[in-house]
Amino acid sequence: MKAKNQRLILALLGLVAVIGAGLLAVSGLKQEAAFFYAPGDVKDNGLPLDKAVRLGGMVADKSIKHDADGVTIHFVVEDGRAQVPVTFKGIAPDLFKEKSGVVAEGRFQPDGSFVATNLLAKHDERYMPPELEGKMHKTGTLKQ
Amino acid sequence: MHAYANPARFLKIARPLTPVFLLAGVVLVLFGSFAGLFMTPPDYLQGDSVRIMYIHVPAAWLGMGGWSGIAIASIVQLVWRHPLAGVAGRAIAVPGALFTAICLITGSIWGRPTWGTWWEWDGRMTSMLVLLFLYIGYVALANASDERTSVSRATAIFGIVGAVNLPIINRSVVWWNSLHQKSSITIKGSTIAPELLWPLAPTVVGFTLLFAAVVLMRMRANLAEAKLEARMRRMAAA
Amino acid sequence: MNHWPFVIAAYGLTGLGSVGVVLWSYIAMRKAEKAAGSLERDR
Repeated sequence: MKAKNQRLILALLGLVAVIGAGLLAVSGLKQEAAFFYAPGDVKDNGLPLDKAVRLGGMVADKSIKHDADGVTIHFVVEDGRAQVPVTFKGIAPDLFKEKSGVVAEGRFQPDGSFVATNLLAKHDERYMPPELEGKMHKTGTLKQ
Repeated sequence: MHAYANPARFLKIARPLTPVFLLAGVVLVLFGSFAGLFMTPPDYLQGDSVRIMYIHVPAAWLGMGGWSGIAIASIVQLVWRHPLAGVAGRAIAVPGALFTAICLITGSIWGRPTWGTWWEWDGRMTSMLVLLFLYIGYVALANASDERTSVSRATAIFGIVGAVNLPIINRSVVWWNSLHQKSSITIKGSTIAPELLWPLAPTVVGFTLLFAAVVLMRMRANLAEAKLEARMRRMAAA
Repeated sequence: MNHWPFVIAAYGLTGLGSVGVVLWSYIAMRKAEKAAGSLERDR
């Protein structure tokens, strides 16, 4: 076998081994590397009560309620598998809307609700001009 | 494979291509940016901040495409011992790092008005930051030797190993719950409305041409410096 | 929130970075090729 071909095979074997090892390591991180819990994850795996976590999902339609104090809001986060009621006191980002994505930072309560200390808006991969909204806008879950 | 091994032959092609790439790149980037800033409608949800997409997406593509180029050059160097492979890898590293940094910075600026945060340790952002560190490591390794027309074997191996991060970046929004949205443009099509999508074509092509021109210029500079040094050594020895 | 300051900052930084790397690479190339070329003529 020519030396060049030998080097080619070695290089390709090396590349496959390295990428395989990397992907394997990363797939092992699947849970740890997740940026947030979805309501369905919590339903399946129990409430992570002991630590501050993030909860992500869609804000349920017509679920945002403002308290009389003006800064406290209540809403429901859903992902098609489960729903979690959330309470948040503070200023929400502009993109925080019903039927849109949200990531809430805070803690789960023993009763299954969530108290958020910070809200992040999560938008999906669809971009369109304002006049097209509704026509193309189908409500999707974050998992899609 | 060794048809362009001779630097003279490479230069014969690189010399006329450099100004063509540079000029076409500048024109396309300026046109695409103008279109993206003033000719397209705002997004229904994000408003005008969506215009950052027209530079963020090309920067992300070049950051990742640049490392793909480094990985290919590394394989070509290790397998075929092609004399220009090291020059190419070295020339790609700095603009690749720059566009990775631009991708991270424009993404951060875009995140503040839309998501409500400058930075989160989300899978996409973290893996892109890792890519920037890989570039910095590559530049440091390449500059560790005095040789200008090649990179060491260790540097080339680093270029190949680092490529494992590319599929991770690409899949990060699928594998993990992430703040970053999923890919808008896939082989199945685009989820960006055509009215908003079209300026992306000139900016992606334009920045790619600019990147190619920078790589050619850096390769030419390195080859000229190497030539000069070789001549100096010969004169000193004589 | 007005988004234009964010948009302008992003485009401005990208422009600065792009122009910077193009100019730097161009000047380095011109300098190196000039030096290599003048040496050739000296011989």
